Amino acid sequence: MSGKVFGQSVTRNEDPYLLTGKAEFIDDIELPGMLHAAFLRSDYAHARIKSIDVSQALKRPGVVAVYTAADFGDYWRPGPLQVPPPTAIKGSVFHARTLVPIAKDKVRFSGEPLALIIAESRYIAEDAFDDIIVEMEPLDAVVDLEKALEPGAPLVHEDLESNLAAHVVQERGNYEEAAAKADYVIKRRISVDRCAGAAMENRGLLVDWNDRTREMTIWASTQAPIPLRNSIAARLGLFESQVRVITPYIGGGFGPKIMTSQADDVLLPIVAMWLNRPIKWIEDRRENFLATTSERDQLHYAEIAVTKDGIILGVKDMFYHNTGAYDPYGMTVPLNTQTHTVSNYNVPNFKTEVKMVFSNTMVVTPVRGAGRPYGVYVMERLIDYAACELGMDPVEIRRRNLIRSDQYPLPTGIIGQDFVEGVLDSGDYPEELRKAVELIGYEKFIKEEQPRLRAEGKHKGIGVVCFTEGTSVGPYEGARVTVGANGKVNVSTGISTQGQGHFTVYAQIAAEELGVDVRDVNVTTGDTGHFHWGAGTFASRGTGVAGSAIHLAASKVRQKAIKLGSKLLGVPEDQVELCDGKVCVAGDHSRFISLGEMAMKANPTRGTFEQGAEPGLEAVAYFGPPYGSTGAGALAMIVDVDPGSMDVKIEKLAIVHDCGTLVNPMLVEGQILGGLSMGIGNAFYEQLKYDENGQLLTASFMDYLLPQATDMPDEVLLGHVERPSPLNELGMKGVGEAGAIPTPACFAQAVENALADCKLQIAETPLSPSRLFELVKKSTEK
Amino acid sequence: MNLEGEHVFKGPRDEVYGMFRDPEVLASALPGTQSLNMVDSNHYEGTMNVRIGPVSGAFSGKLEIADEVAPEKCTLIVEGKGAPGFAKGVGHVHFSEQEDGTTLLKYSGDVQIGGTLASVGQRMIDSVAKSMIKTAFETLDKALEARLAAKAGQEVEFKAPTEAQFAAGVAKDMAKGWTQIAEVRMVLYVIPMAILLAIIGFILSKCN
Repeated sequence: MSGKVFGQSVTRNEDPYLLTGKAEFIDDIELPGMLHAAFLRSDYAHARIKSIDVSQALKRPGVVAVYTAADFGDYWRPGPLQVPPPTAIKGSVFHARTLVPIAKDKVRFSGEPLALIIAESRYIAEDAFDDIIVEMEPLDAVVDLEKALEPGAPLVHEDLESNLAAHVVQERGNYEEAAAKADYVIKRRISVDRCAGAAMENRGLLVDWNDRTREMTIWASTQAPIPLRNSIAARLGLFESQVRVITPYIGGGFGPKIMTSQADDVLLPIVAMWLNRPIKWIEDRRENFLATTSERDQLHYAEIAVTKDGIILGVKDMFYHNTGAYDPYGMTVPLNTQTHTVSNYNVPNFKTEVKMVFSNTMVVTPVRGAGRPYGVYVMERLIDYAACELGMDPVEIRRRNLIRSDQYPLPTGIIGQDFVEGVLDSGDYPEELRKAVELIGYEKFIKEEQPRLRAEGKHKGIGVVCFTEGTSVGPYEGARVTVGANGKVNVSTGISTQGQGHFTVYAQIAAEELGVDVRDVNVTTGDTGHFHWGAGTFASRGTGVAGSAIHLAASKVRQKAIKLGSKLLGVPEDQVELCDGKVCVAGDHSRFISLGEMAMKANPTRGTFEQGAEPGLEAVAYFGPPYGSTGAGALAMIVDVDPGSMDVKIEKLAIVHDCGTLVNPMLVEGQILGGLSMGIGNAFYEQLKYDENGQLLTASFMDYLLPQATDMPDEVLLGHVERPSPLNELGMKGVGEAGAIPTPACFAQAVENALADCKLQIAETPLSPSRLFELVKKSTEK
Repeated sequence: MNLEGEHVFKGPRDEVYGMFRDPEVLASALPGTQSLNMVDSNHYEGTMNVRIGPVSGAFSGKLEIADEVAPEKCTLIVEGKGAPGFAKGVGHVHFSEQEDGTTLLKYSGDVQIGGTLASVGQRMIDSVAKSMIKTAFETLDKALEARLAAKAGQEVEFKAPTEAQFAAGVAKDMAKGWTQIAEVRMVLYVIPMAILLAIIGFILSKCN
């Protein structure tokens, strides 16, 4: 569906502010009397704290206060579990060891805060690091996932018997029986290493406590303003209404900013109360690398059972998932892996088992893709290995197993991050694959171009993979839509914005319903003073869930306007309509009353008021889906490998995606391209590398390689398949993570195809030129 | 990080070993050493300045000499920490007499590093460490020459290099093929330039 503005590539409402430097980011905010915070962080990944002497730091001019865990008394306690345990899954084991605000007795990862310094400037605060004497007894660190579970391994949490954080087994059908009947069973060990969110703007928090009004205002670069407000209020013993969290413009989220129990979140509010001065903390890049959160460290032992015709009978995947030193975010990431492993395909027998492991590394919480890329990587790799074994074309084997367009809704039997059984609500996977194959020119490349290029000694290869993206999960979001006396529309919702284009997409949804100019819709996100119910920005749910709530609220306002308009114009309700910011008589637009005037009249200040009515041209609505809607797509790419340097250039890329109804095609394209860039990073550039002692070796952009604009393919072709979701009125599904999900799998397939069919079998990601060189060398030695 | 290598000293083993166990000579050969105090004959404490790429700062540490079989071998255990992080290392040093009267020193060791040193400096640490060892051996060669000459009644001047000279030696060594790297250029050119500008600025402000 598309309307006047809904479904159109409307340029962004926020861009004039962003492009002219008028947008306010957290570090732009300066308050009178403001102090600055810095955290002294542990160099050791695992060590016992013997003593911390801050006496010299306190003598430094400009240092106002220095705190260690001991100074917080009873206020010091581990943070809340931000995501519930997976009790909905039978037989699941989960040990909650949530983040501690500041290390006490022991440090569990390199970068964990040891002391908090408050000073007149950040420079002074950081200079005071040198004054603090920390005595620590280093302990052996746990980094390797398999070794972590061996008997006698050092324990990250000594009150537990082992480093096992959780254990979940889910199965549909019976894999072992299926494997017994299969012609081929292919088993591989597949590993996925870490990557960072690496948002352009790091985290930040500014707390202002007003001791007279007993109110706290917090500016935060968070993806979850309402949960942050709730946990701060609860910890301080305040009402939620006494704490207002405001998110200014934010330079990217990508997942890690969903955390609400980091040291700054917990400690700065109370210190601001104690000192009765505003305190600002801006995370620096090194802190972000070491001690925010990151993702993607998993080790899979996976197998696939197929017939000689390439029909998949079953898949089994036993994997280890690294949760880092704590598990504040429950099992969202590994559950996403479980729900995204086989979801494109008809796999009647599927067994997935995860062992979540504590290690002396930074905490793992979702990063764009959030568990989905590894599920897809494992499955797509298994299919490629099977295709090799059977001598079958990789596209053909996929075609034979894809879920058909007439199978929806299709229950999957696997419980996901929202703790209900996943159901594939809508889609057309075969059409997506067909379109991607057509866009990339698969047949022509395989039959004509590649043989010619090979004859010329060139190493170009092609890859084609499929993926799904569970999006728009619950529980719910809400919105308030208000027509102002100025005739313009205000929309406020609880989720926050990190650059996705919410100010435009939400305006389009409201403008379409209320018949106003999209520029006349002002959108406020992530300010608990404006709207204070909701969960946050994650799981590609902003448009699908909050957008649906806005649509419902705008519909209510529309009804109100029509009712009031008919009364004021003296014509029946079915004879009035909304037109250009007015309520008009249908067929005679010269008879109208403007929305602004009605907004005034809807709020009478004298006289009587109709019983049961609500004042204003305003409405609040909430939306929560029964389960998330599933987007999906297919990705194809052609790569050119230089066999000398093992550098890989992606020459051409085609992605076909279904995110249901497109609200703004231009913004969908932006999301897909951004995701692809991240996926390319995860395939060949980005890697957070820990040494065996838990030291992060890539804590700066000198060593952590982000793909640049020049690393994007020369040619990117986009295709859309629009299969509206039945789960919300507008038929929307999310798209925020799509590009990041299938890229490493497609890249691996294309590189294998470029080098030599079947000899090189890649079973890890990310790759790099040097790693690829080693793998090729190993494969030719066989 | 593993380190291993060898070096030939032009002198008899007893002399080489004696020199090696002389704290003053050792301190002069250890890069950036500010102080090295003997606790007992096998334990030393000291402070040292370390600069690796963009990471620099003072380290305080301990040096222990263990499993000593003079003049044949010993084990060095080093532990240091400071603002740039920490380092912990165990090194095995062997001295063997060679037929031509020289002494072959072989070393192997494992060094664990942490903090900024690891997270930012690791890409350069390998090269810096190797270069530091090379420069240290050159210093020891000169010390040995002076020692042998003194024994023979001659005077050969041995002046322990200052930290600045030592750093220059390391930088010069690293600069071979390294000057194209931004961080090295930073250390070699940008920082001296900044200091120069600061001095000029200071003088100008005094003139006013």
